[in-house]
Amino acid sequence: MNAYSNILPADLSQLSEAELRKLENKIARKYSGKLPWIAVVWAFGNLAAWLSLWPLVMFDILPLWAAFPIAVINLALVYLPTHEAQHDIIARPGTKLRWLNELVGHATSWMMVLPFQVLRVTHLDHHRHTNDPELDTDITSKASGPWDALRQIVRQRQPNAKRNQDYLESLARNGRPDLIVLSLAYRIGFIAILGGLAWNGYALEALLLWWLPYQIAMTYIVFFLSWAPHHPGTHRTRYTNTRSWKSAVGNIGSMGMQFHIVHHLHPYIPLHLTPAAYREMRPILEARGCRLGDN
Amino acid sequence: MERALKFIAGILPIVFASAFLVPVIDQGMQAAGLSAPFGLSTLTFALIVGGAWGLFAQVTGRWI
Repeated sequence: MNAYSNILPADLSQLSEAELRKLENKIARKYSGKLPWIAVVWAFGNLAAWLSLWPLVMFDILPLWAAFPIAVINLALVYLPTHEAQHDIIARPGTKLRWLNELVGHATSWMMVLPFQVLRVTHLDHHRHTNDPELDTDITSKASGPWDALRQIVRQRQPNAKRNQDYLESLARNGRPDLIVLSLAYRIGFIAILGGLAWNGYALEALLLWWLPYQIAMTYIVFFLSWAPHHPGTHRTRYTNTRSWKSAVGNIGSMGMQFHIVHHLHPYIPLHLTPAAYREMRPILEARGCRLGDN
Repeated sequence: MERALKFIAGILPIVFASAFLVPVIDQGMQAAGLSAPFGLSTLTFALIVGGAWGLFAQVTGRWI
């Protein structure tokens, strides 16, 4: 038996492709199928914490300088629960708690100024076409190294960025042109809210509780969720298009993305279980020639 | 509605600058105790700087 697994035999060298796949799927199933309450609590706890900052600051209970870093953390934490919902991990279609899955997605994605359905359609396109220079919606995060990645992330948030175009094309390709209009409505609504606050004397509150935290958080999210796990962004096969790596900021600091390879292979495994699934699956991943780090 | 949204989206940098950037510069200067040059009010200064920046982003497609 393997040290981390009661499923895998000690020696995999004699197993066929089909046998490896069967064992891999068996491990994946072991870590899936249960409702990840942690994602639900995370989503609504984070939302409540961020919303509470506004009255706390506006009524001078909390100084703006203290609320700003909290808002940055809130915005950085907002993506992962909606990511679980995009993959139907909280509840699959047709199940009793499906409404909760959709509620988590919709209730949190607006903080990132994107409709939940847009995130879902474009993210699933990324999974289908990982590292494809034409079809991968996240290909614009491809960069030669971490500094180049940061430069590229800022570049791709400019009005004329290719990333904007890639998202629009993905929506059109997936037969959802209606979501293009909805995306515009979200974007304009965001500016309307910021403007409404700003012209009523709350410009710095809007800047430091939403706009700037959003910019910082998006940089952080794209760096760790998009650039790092797919770097160098050239591998296209199922077992090589993502990697595992040991992050200098640890697994929590990199938002669990050290084990992103497990997510791409089995996207129905909840985020908090991917490290355990990775450790158990690692011998199979080694046998398949995956790009694995020291973790 | 859709046409209106697309029209606004086409001039979004200018909309963003007018709606948000201008008051941010104005209130930011006031909070920092900075005065505008040439005897201008902070709001006038913010309108010039924010407006020019928005126009730059509108024309070039990038803020920086």
